[in-house]
Amino acid sequence: MLAASHLTRRFGDRVAVDDLSFTLAPGEIFALLGPNGAGKTTTLRMLAGLIEPSSGSVRLGTDVLTPQTAPRLRGRIGFLTEMPGLWDRLTVRQNLVVYARLHGLPEPARVVDEALETFGLRDRGRDLAAELSKGLRQRVALARTLLHRPEVLLLDEPTAGLDPESARDVRDLVRRLRSEQRTIVISTHNLDEVERLADRVAVMRGRLVALDTPAALHTRLFGARVRIGVRQPAETFVDVLARAGLSDVQVQDRALSIAVDDDESATPAIVRRLVDAGADIVSVVREQARLEDVYLHLLGRS
Amino acid sequence: MSRTRALLAKEVADLRRNPALFVPAILAGTLSMILPFVIAVVVPVLAGERLSESSDFEIALEMYRDHPALRALDPEAAVQAWIFQQFLVLLVLTPVTGAMSVAAASIVGEKHARTLEPLLATPLTTFELLAAKVLGAFLPALALTTATFGVYLLGVVVLAEPGAFRALLLPPSLAVTFLLGPLVSLAALQLAVCVSSRVNDARSAQQIGALVVLPLTALFILQITGMLRLTMPMVGAAALVLVVLNVGLMLLGISLFDRESILTRWK
Repeated sequence: MLAASHLTRRFGDRVAVDDLSFTLAPGEIFALLGPNGAGKTTTLRMLAGLIEPSSGSVRLGTDVLTPQTAPRLRGRIGFLTEMPGLWDRLTVRQNLVVYARLHGLPEPARVVDEALETFGLRDRGRDLAAELSKGLRQRVALARTLLHRPEVLLLDEPTAGLDPESARDVRDLVRRLRSEQRTIVISTHNLDEVERLADRVAVMRGRLVALDTPAALHTRLFGARVRIGVRQPAETFVDVLARAGLSDVQVQDRALSIAVDDDESATPAIVRRLVDAGADIVSVVREQARLEDVYLHLLGRS
Repeated sequence: MSRTRALLAKEVADLRRNPALFVPAILAGTLSMILPFVIAVVVPVLAGERLSESSDFEIALEMYRDHPALRALDPEAAVQAWIFQQFLVLLVLTPVTGAMSVAAASIVGEKHARTLEPLLATPLTTFELLAAKVLGAFLPALALTTATFGVYLLGVVVLAEPGAFRALLLPPSLAVTFLLGPLVSLAALQLAVCVSSRVNDARSAQQIGALVVLPLTALFILQITGMLRLTMPMVGAAALVLVVLNVGLMLLGISLFDRESILTRWK
């Protein structure tokens, strides 16, 4: 369990992070979203015990992160920094062995062999880090972050600059880590990634703007909508819906987008009315605003 | 200490991939080594005059007549022994010039390569980090000093008058080579690493670290002008001061190492 309580960090007069609180459960993926300078990296650094909060605290299980406990607790945290940060003149294997030893792992060579195998790097162990592609460098950095099997993972822009295939590999890995009950915090600008991965999202701009599941954020901001495709021109059925008390209906060619309070209970009744009115229903889907819309709406409002 | 050893192994592996860093030190060492041979062996042959016949070296002869182990030396050998011993201080200093660039780049280099933050995210303590960085520069310098001394001694045995090499094996000579020299190097490298953690440019660290070498240079000048004759009690006192200085520099380095500034303000 990772908990931040009223976490605040000032740099001189500037408040980088303001009164941030959350509690994360094992096996949870938590995304930090926000524009550049919103305090995401500062938050990750405080969670990693690299910089101290001006006020507030971070707790890892029952242990509070302090300058005294930080070296020990860092052994339970894996921090993937924004840049892979590999030593270019060392081989992939040498890079990993140094970190295995820094974490005091018994049999570092065996641990590194396993990591190379897991991350599909077995044939690249003798390559110099400088010779690797950006995607491979990120993969080595991820392997390094996971060598000591940390219970908490902090990932700063893990797929930034990666090609789609490498980015998908990283997302698959993060899902696998969730299934191993690791607590994962991801800082990213990639809204699509958040939508695919995150259990909860914190939208930040220094302070916390919103914190919830992606679905709840959609619903909270835009309400629920149902999209019903019909064979006839859609405007034919607007009056039918209006008579049923549904006033927010948008017509899109042969589809109706209808705002409802609760899509699960309202949808069957709407479908029945439309069928009674002679509509040939082609499709019924729950409509969701894109997270991008939610994000921009939240930041616009903040 | 296992984490210090782990990082030290990385420093050594890194240096092995980039041996050019020590080329200036090897060149400087070679030149410093050639110079006394030119003065003590080549010039007398070219001039057709023995050094012991020159009034310039009377101080050397007096000093060596006083020393029981060297009293039996031929006057020419005694003058040569004196010259070779004086240059020992210079010779001991040269390896630190190569190590200085390694130490100066130790922290700021990691920061610029973006390798420092992942490193700081491990359980590594500031002491362990700084110790590994200092030792990573110091141990190759010590190896270079030892190798330089060995070649120098061999050169004196082969090229100088018989028995002149004994001056290099006297306790003060050995103490300068293997005690004072390394302690000064260690202090200089510690200062360079300290500064490396506070500046954004390795050159600043290199220049400030080089200041520590000045006292040994002064010692060289004082010795060669006959104003100072190094004795074992003096070496012992100097070593004690240097040990205290080194401990102080390590404590200073730890207190000056500001993770937050390094991570948040350096670009």
